[in-house]
Amino acid sequence: MTHWPETTTPVLPPDDLNTVDMTINIGPQHPATHGVFRMVLTVDGELVVDCEPYIGYLHRGLEKLSETADYRQSMGWWDRTDYLAGMCCEMAYCMAVEKLGGLEVPERAEYIRVIMAELSRINSHFMFLGAFGTDVGVLGTTFTYAWRERERIYDLFEEVAGDRMFPTYLRPGGVSMDLPENFEQRCRWVLDSARQGMEDLDGMMTGNEIFVERCRDLGPITPERGIALGLSGPMLRATGLPWDIRKAEPYSIYDRLDFEVPVGRQGDVFDRYFVRLAEMYQSMRIVEQCLDQMPKSGLVLNPNLPKTLRIESGECYIRTEGTKGEYSVYALAKGGNKPYRMKLRSPSFCNLSGLREMVVGTYVADAIVILGSLDIVLGEVDK
Amino acid sequence: MTEAQARPLPYPVGSQSPQEGLKDLLAKAVPGGLLTFGATATDLDVTVPPADLLTLVTTLRDRPELAFDLLRNIAGVDYETDMALKYHLYSLKHGHALQVTVPTTSGHPHVPSLTSLYPAANWHEREASEMFGFVFDGHPNPKNLLLEEDLHIHPLLKAHPLAKVEILQGIEEGPPGFKF
Amino acid sequence: MNDGSTVLPFGDPMFGITSWLDAVVRLIIIVLVMTVIVMYLTYGERKVLARFQNRLGPMETGPWGIWQAWADTVKLVAKEDIRPKNADRWVFEFAPYLTFIPVLMVLAVLPFAQDWGVRNLTLGLFYVFAILGLNIVGIMMAGLGSGNKYALLGGLRAAAQMLSYEIPLVLSLLSVAMVAQTLDLNAMAAGQALDPGVGQNAPYVFLQPLAFLIFFTAMLSELHRAPFDIPVAESEVVGGFFVEYSGIRWSMFQLSEYASMWAFSVFGSVVFLGGWAVPEASLFFDNGWPGPDWIWQLSITMVKSSVWIFALMWMRSAMPRLRIDQLMAFCWKVLLPLSIVQIFMNGFILWYGQEGRVFDGYSDWLLTATSGAGAIALIVLVYSRAFRRRSTKGLVGAYRQAQVPLP
Repeated sequence: MTHWPETTTPVLPPDDLNTVDMTINIGPQHPATHGVFRMVLTVDGELVVDCEPYIGYLHRGLEKLSETADYRQSMGWWDRTDYLAGMCCEMAYCMAVEKLGGLEVPERAEYIRVIMAELSRINSHFMFLGAFGTDVGVLGTTFTYAWRERERIYDLFEEVAGDRMFPTYLRPGGVSMDLPENFEQRCRWVLDSARQGMEDLDGMMTGNEIFVERCRDLGPITPERGIALGLSGPMLRATGLPWDIRKAEPYSIYDRLDFEVPVGRQGDVFDRYFVRLAEMYQSMRIVEQCLDQMPKSGLVLNPNLPKTLRIESGECYIRTEGTKGEYSVYALAKGGNKPYRMKLRSPSFCNLSGLREMVVGTYVADAIVILGSLDIVLGEVDK
Repeated sequence: MTEAQARPLPYPVGSQSPQEGLKDLLAKAVPGGLLTFGATATDLDVTVPPADLLTLVTTLRDRPELAFDLLRNIAGVDYETDMALKYHLYSLKHGHALQVTVPTTSGHPHVPSLTSLYPAANWHEREASEMFGFVFDGHPNPKNLLLEEDLHIHPLLKAHPLAKVEILQGIEEGPPGFKF
Repeated sequence: MNDGSTVLPFGDPMFGITSWLDAVVRLIIIVLVMTVIVMYLTYGERKVLARFQNRLGPMETGPWGIWQAWADTVKLVAKEDIRPKNADRWVFEFAPYLTFIPVLMVLAVLPFAQDWGVRNLTLGLFYVFAILGLNIVGIMMAGLGSGNKYALLGGLRAAAQMLSYEIPLVLSLLSVAMVAQTLDLNAMAAGQALDPGVGQNAPYVFLQPLAFLIFFTAMLSELHRAPFDIPVAESEVVGGFFVEYSGIRWSMFQLSEYASMWAFSVFGSVVFLGGWAVPEASLFFDNGWPGPDWIWQLSITMVKSSVWIFALMWMRSAMPRLRIDQLMAFCWKVLLPLSIVQIFMNGFILWYGQEGRVFDGYSDWLLTATSGAGAIALIVLVYSRAFRRRSTKGLVGAYRQAQVPLP
């Protein structure tokens, strides 16, 4: 005979029933935006409890290799660090070698370098806009719009230097070749088209309620915390501090140019996006001023360069404003035609070190968006 | 096109060459004899032994006339007979930059970690320790950063040859006569 | 309004054969038609998305790539059927079928032309509600049975999302049923013909715009398409609940997604846009149309559902996706109250709009006015959040200097 037990109290789950944190591996293979980067998230349901980034998948031994190559040879490795903006990296490297060796750069070459660096900055920020849209979920429409403009800038680089992404165009002492004949006209056309592209992207993202909902108030940082973490570039400017090395420690001919420094308000993801968008307009302004101010003819490479560049001794720490932040080179020379030590202080490396702090306490989908807003380039991070 | 009026930047403009006024400020702030001054092509350089690093950096950070709040870079250098660490600091308030050199012995020298003062130092120190072999006392997470977790070679040392790591680990044969 | 006359289940048997065989023949036709349409929907989506993204889409396989879908089918059928070791075998294998079968069941009741479909159920709308829920079972099975953390996350999110959005979906359709006074889909379509003797109403999108908006949004979520595609696009690489499926099983998921997209589009156009009915159609077509009625009715259905499908693809190309908590908040805090309010308003107006009561004769106008006001309220609600929070209006190209003191 079955006996149904009499229950007067409700049956509760046992006391040791609790949730278990799950580890998710956002693995080295990533959806075509950031490169080989691995992040291990410990999540409690949807909330990220811990985050540990693992880098080094793209470590290529840049600094060791630079010690084994001539001053002019290792440029080919250095423009592969920030592979989205090769000319900016080359500029930093060339400035370091010039400082060590006391080389002078002709004025026309300085203007050409600044034009190329700012075009690279526009290029890199377009990549950010495209990839960030994909991270937030627009499937790729922003990606293709951004790519159309990038292709035009790449065509310009190909005309000038012969190669699109890794042009190896700059040399210690100037640039390797003069600009082609119709460069100015083509450059202005590219800038107009880029302006149109930026308006399209702006309309698609800034004006989109869902995008703003996803990005506002996400991962805010105060300026003090930003400085303590070593952030630089658009990440720090989004917190409200208008620190730009082109203004703070001017190099090359930036002190002759008139441009503004866009800032954000609270350092969240939306501000970072918006600062980068506004910076692109300023870069265009710089390029146009350079095109106006540039001497129409002249040398583009220091004529008194020795056949092999030997530097007896010297030490310098050259700071430049790379596209992601402070791209700096510490160079030490001790005789011979090879540097003794060349260290790259890359902005993405330093920005990425603050990832854990920014991501813990947000949702999984937000972690992806925050990582996208950091705008890292793994070539720089891993050297 | 601009909405706000153009205001002057809220920090002084620095420069990428060594600054004289800074030397006097430092000499006054830090008791004499502790520091050795030098200059690089771009910055003023201050040499300090590892034991005094923490006190010096705390002074640099906390004194209001110095106010070095940004740690930009930590570079290790291997001079073959000894090693050194180069710290690059910057003050946003005053616009001056400083390089601090910390000469150490070869091998696995111990240097105090600056992570308690600057969170930015965390990854820089991890990289320096795996590339050169420095041991940073007080570092919260001294694991390899760019190299694999279980690899304990220090590639950027001058004694370390430029060769495949499999050769160095004995997995593959090196060129004839190669001995590591 | 329906005049209450009895209707045979879809008129006369087809081709003069008996009723159960007739049902089987109709089913086979529907399945074949669905297969081809779904294949071309995948192709169409790729082309449409590509054009939105400034590129061309498939162009190589056949002129303008029209054989792309066949090539994809051949490739997928030829793939190895991989089943992960950790997967729960039968759950994993049956999940795709359970996701697909409800869609087919819904297709059985939709009218593609007047009295054309597999079967015309008097409880057609109710049947669709009941079947919708079965989709979730299949997705949960896929999520839990895959043995993969991403699949688990995706499956749970999908379940939460789809369950939540069913409620405003059903409530908005119920409010339309209140106006239509019938649950029979064929009669509902006929009722929107503005044709004396056939039906008296304008398409319900005009009478019930709020219900239309709620239905559209909830339908996007049921289909887990953008902007509600968080279950299937977890950081855009991992596919959510169908991440571990490959080959023909994956194509079953895609088939069910596009088939449900098509089914919902036809369903939505029947309920809201009038289905096969065109207002005042008898004036144009009965006199001047030489052939049978079903030709123009079928084309009208195709046109309406194509517009609907194009709108779905358009939204996918342009909208970022909502996070799961924002999605749920939107459903429970915005759509659900509005759909309940809609039902109350409808009830009020229809009761007092009966003959002899206060609003006699004005009930249609009142329905349009109140529901229109509700729709405008919904749009304003969504946009005002954007205005309030998007403080960058007019600032592109401009900047703000530092407003915080330095440390």
